[in-house]
Amino acid sequence: MGLELKIDNLVKRFGTREIFRIEQLHVQEGQSLHLKGENGVGKTTLMKIMAGLEKPCSGNVSVTPNHRRWWSDRLHPDVIYLHQTPYVFMSNVVDNVAYGLKLRKGNRHDVKNKVQQALAWARLEHLAEQPAYSLSGGERQRLALARAWILAPRLLFLDEPTANLDRRSVSTVAELVGQLLEQGTTIMVSSHQSNTVTELCNRHLQLEDGALHEVESLTQVKRYA
Amino acid sequence: MEMSLLDTCIDAIRLLFSGNTELWSIIWVSFCVSMTAILISAVPAIFVGFLLAMVDFPGRWMVIALFNALMAIPTVVVGLTLYLLLSRSGPFGELHLLFSQPAMVIGQVLLCFPVLVCMSHAAFQGIDRRAWETARTLGAHCGRAALTIACEARFSLLGAMLAGFSRIISEVGCSMMVGGNILGYTRNIPTAIALETSKGEFSQGVALGLVLLMLALVLNFTLASVRGKGQLI
Repeated sequence: MGLELKIDNLVKRFGTREIFRIEQLHVQEGQSLHLKGENGVGKTTLMKIMAGLEKPCSGNVSVTPNHRRWWSDRLHPDVIYLHQTPYVFMSNVVDNVAYGLKLRKGNRHDVKNKVQQALAWARLEHLAEQPAYSLSGGERQRLALARAWILAPRLLFLDEPTANLDRRSVSTVAELVGQLLEQGTTIMVSSHQSNTVTELCNRHLQLEDGALHEVESLTQVKRYA
Repeated sequence: MEMSLLDTCIDAIRLLFSGNTELWSIIWVSFCVSMTAILISAVPAIFVGFLLAMVDFPGRWMVIALFNALMAIPTVVVGLTLYLLLSRSGPFGELHLLFSQPAMVIGQVLLCFPVLVCMSHAAFQGIDRRAWETARTLGAHCGRAALTIACEARFSLLGAMLAGFSRIISEVGCSMMVGGNILGYTRNIPTAIALETSKGEFSQGVALGLVLLMLALVLNFTLASVRGKGQLI
């Protein structure tokens, strides 16, 4: 059964200030979405709510089929959110990549093999034993993608994945995101401007004045910019 | 005849290496009591520190302020309170704990708990919120994510435990009041130093003081070597 994300009457406020009110959104498996909006409109908050990391003030986010674990009514095991500036744990690159897989209690040999594959996929093999904090911005972004890729998520939220990256790093990240899309992962990318990663998307959403609009094409998105 | 400072120090070092059983029993009591107290309080205090850093609830700031205030409470006040509670006419008099090692442990737990809570709270507050979110989104349940956060804050938490241990290994007021300074049973380093000094026997006091100093140096150097050489800002 294909994964689906639905939003119904979602409202988020900080104090008395309403950030957004989204009546409906329907995302189907295999889609790629670009969430566009100016700084401060609530893109990150919206993505965190959809990923189950934050609570909305009212409304509902549902991801079906529902495989939620007993300890959380919001987090879904097939949904992963990546921060704009990925957090790296105080250990080496291998341990960072293996983190999620170890939680799923795979056997040691499998974990090791999959970590090697993930490192090769993200072109981080030469940095495997390096402390993760020593990585550059682009390498950290690739590490975060590898950390997600290894868990084979069905829905991936990428929060401004190319912010503060040079052109070469942007194209590497775009290539990795393209491969994830080819594998059938549903991806939502937030960005305040169009770039090589957002150009991979087949749906474009604009968060503006507290409302979410679907825009038909990239040129229409550009009109808002 | 009055001894010079140098003579006292030489005599103290000689005493330390002479294998004096009385001296080493005092050191042993100190270690046993303080280690037991820190081991009892560490996990619950770190857990409280974690909750105060991560969970928002009404009156949270008041709890934080209360623990901060308790950090500064004089040890003798804790000793006095505990004395009143454990004395024969007190509510827990029937337990016959007064002037025993368990009473000293209880007192030291009360003394180091607020230190551990406040310092672990500060340690957890220093951890980026993204660490928690990353652990959660990668599939960690709350307990596992908390363990990950504790692991990220491990050096600060070790520092908190060290500060808690320093507070209790060197306190004299509470141990004197609820321990009673019984040789071979409740006489620890600080109470022995106080007693020997009042008797004019400075050598044993200095010897025990050197043990405390060595202990502080060893613990801090160990922590520094585990943590690394320290980063410049």
